[in-house]
Amino acid sequence: MAYKPQYYPGTTSVGKNRRKHMSGDLEKLRDISDADVVTVMGHRAPGADYPSTHPPLKEMGEPDCPIRQLVEPTPGAAAGDRIRYSQFADSMYNAPSVPYWRSYWGAINCRGADPGTLSGRQIIEARERDIEQYTKVQMDSEMTDVSLSSMRGCTVHGHSLRLAEDGTMFDMLARTEMGSDGKVSYVKDQVGIPLDKKVNVGKPMSEAEVAKRTTIFRHDNVAFGGAQGARKFDEGLIALHHMWERRSRWGFRPE
Amino acid sequence: MGKIHTKKLFVKALNKKFGKDFDLSGKTAAYERKGPTQNIRKVEFMEAAKKIAGKRGISGYNPYVHCGGVPLGQRQLVPYKLSTTEYVVEGDDLHFVNNPAMQQMWDDIRRTIVVGLDMAHEVLEKRLGKEVTPETINNYLEILNHAMPGAAVVQEHMVETHPALVDDCNVRIFTGDDDLADEIDDQYVIDINKLFPADQAEQIKAAMGKTTWQAIHIPTVVSRTCDGGTTSRWSAMQLSMTFIDAYNMCAGEAAVADLAFAAKHAAVIQMADMLPARRARGPNEPGGLSFGFLADMVQTSRTKAFDPTQVSLNVVAAGAMLYDQIWLGSYMSGGVGFTQYATAAYTNDVLDDFCYYGVDYAVDKYGDMCAAPVDLATAKDIATEATLYGIEQYEAFPTVLEDHFGGSQRASVLAAASGISSAVATGNSQIGLAGWYCSMLVHKDAWGRLGFFGYDLQDQCGPTNVFSYQGDEGSPTELRGANYPNYAMNVGHQGEYAGISSAAHAARQDAYACNPLIKVCFANPALPFTWDDIRKGFGMGGAREFRAAGERSLVMPAL
Repeated sequence: MAYKPQYYPGTTSVGKNRRKHMSGDLEKLRDISDADVVTVMGHRAPGADYPSTHPPLKEMGEPDCPIRQLVEPTPGAAAGDRIRYSQFADSMYNAPSVPYWRSYWGAINCRGADPGTLSGRQIIEARERDIEQYTKVQMDSEMTDVSLSSMRGCTVHGHSLRLAEDGTMFDMLARTEMGSDGKVSYVKDQVGIPLDKKVNVGKPMSEAEVAKRTTIFRHDNVAFGGAQGARKFDEGLIALHHMWERRSRWGFRPE
Repeated sequence: MGKIHTKKLFVKALNKKFGKDFDLSGKTAAYERKGPTQNIRKVEFMEAAKKIAGKRGISGYNPYVHCGGVPLGQRQLVPYKLSTTEYVVEGDDLHFVNNPAMQQMWDDIRRTIVVGLDMAHEVLEKRLGKEVTPETINNYLEILNHAMPGAAVVQEHMVETHPALVDDCNVRIFTGDDDLADEIDDQYVIDINKLFPADQAEQIKAAMGKTTWQAIHIPTVVSRTCDGGTTSRWSAMQLSMTFIDAYNMCAGEAAVADLAFAAKHAAVIQMADMLPARRARGPNEPGGLSFGFLADMVQTSRTKAFDPTQVSLNVVAAGAMLYDQIWLGSYMSGGVGFTQYATAAYTNDVLDDFCYYGVDYAVDKYGDMCAAPVDLATAKDIATEATLYGIEQYEAFPTVLEDHFGGSQRASVLAAASGISSAVATGNSQIGLAGWYCSMLVHKDAWGRLGFFGYDLQDQCGPTNVFSYQGDEGSPTELRGANYPNYAMNVGHQGEYAGISSAAHAARQDAYACNPLIKVCFANPALPFTWDDIRKGFGMGGAREFRAAGERSLVMPAL
């Protein structure tokens, strides 16, 4: 029988969503054009050639190496692209994704990707044409809500702040704006350089929708440990306790 | 069911910031983007910078270059209340450069050395046949308090330091021998019986036996100009010269070498160990300061012995400032970000509330402090409860979450509350440490985020070393320190570990956590910093009410 990864325990919506993110079985909610994704990333102009750091691998005369024979290079690696990034900030007010689950998604589903996890942002680095694809998946899918998640290369401050009155996550550099039609547009790229034309990424999810799709446990939505005075541990917490105890008991004594 | 804790100590701080009628549970805010001029300290900085730029001919501080022309202050720049105190200061006032009390706290450690007196007395009595009596000791101490600040004895035509520049320098002795203490002039004694509660005094004297020690604090200006490694050398020179004077010795006789060796090596307790080459610092520098020693330097344990949580919180504050702001933030890294990490642990009564909750929960469930079983189950129970409670407060009070806007701040606070509560519940710092790591993992999985990855790394592998005492793998918490292998890099941990060390002992009503000599040395009332109330000291510094030592204006033209 083929091995079937379990990814994450629990029967709650948060547990299920975490499994979806990790498995890559994501629902596509919107279709941002390739050109718009590239524009917001800000590394190259849409349609411009990919700058390269080395010639295509086929022209390089690679050594006879069993690992190279086993591992097919990603398109970006094969072409010799430079390594670039996209970084997302996700609000703690029920944004669909959270940094560790973006990283798990990246590490499990994206070849040649280097995820980095922080509390207020999550970065994935990869060859340029590869990261563009990975970024599009994130922007198009249920990993992203356009008011609670945004691409921010620097000055990411906002994930833990109260939301602005229009329901969007605070951004010191005001890279996105809410239009009178209720749609969100990027007006600056991910490092805050103003764009020549706005990139419309569509309408935000409703509060009920983000509460349903989120991967963060919150006591006012899906609690991790029940309520104060009446604790009821999620299966994820029970599994976590198990891991912590094993690490504590046997860390330096693997018997 | 556990007792429901309703103190919410942080609400008062929030009311001070946002106004009494503010809806603390609101999840949205009007961002007015008022920029730096919304804040009095930024305005002061800009005005000062303008004058300075004109005078020196090169530009300086300008918050309008902050990020692509978008200045700091797009959100509300809120002040900070020093926990437990009434001091409310601006964030900038808590950067150690702007806060003389913080500087003095570190100066007081770096310039301190404890030197035994018994070995020197044995040399005098057994090798030289001289008589040592309370009278000779009093005479010696009078000469020493003349010489230690940098004044001459024995030699003619020597230069000396201005007494007003070195007025913070002093030497007192302390002893477990009550009879000897009675014979010494009061001005030269740290009186254990007067300064400590009776049961603590008995513990300390029992641990010390009849030994006698000198608490030596060299001038602040000296250790600021040189380094921590200077302290033992400066003190040893003055000690040796003073022995020559007080006991009418020959300045060149070989016995002086014995006295110097005792003062420099054999009878010396440095405040901090030397560091290996890649972090090269001498002794008495913060990277070598153990958590147990720092716990003993803080004096809340003798002035508020009835409140072990308060004791631990003051140790956390001292450690967060020293290890995070000064050691990692400046010695090892440089910059300003570390202050933000550290302040979360000693401002706005958030950690206080979480700790008191955890301790209340433990006492309610297990009957008393130190009454819970010393095992992993206790750590799991208390740390999970304290962490879930803290998470719920951040969720219920969005302005608290906004205060601790970085995950590393929240992780430090939640894990410190868990560790301190577990340590208080069991009287065991290792169980406190286990609680710390349990909290980190619970937090990470609940929210899918923790600190930055380098921060998280330490905590995800940390449980493995809690119960190992083998070299390079572990140590009792009290003996670990800023250079413990897995702790050497990461902000937001070390002060809290010191707090956990302290919590176990404070709960047991121990007089000290690691070393009774350090505890007594820092009870010296002549130290400028407020060692019994760390947060108050930081508040005084921030409010510009604290007068630090090491003053130089006396010998410079007036501004």
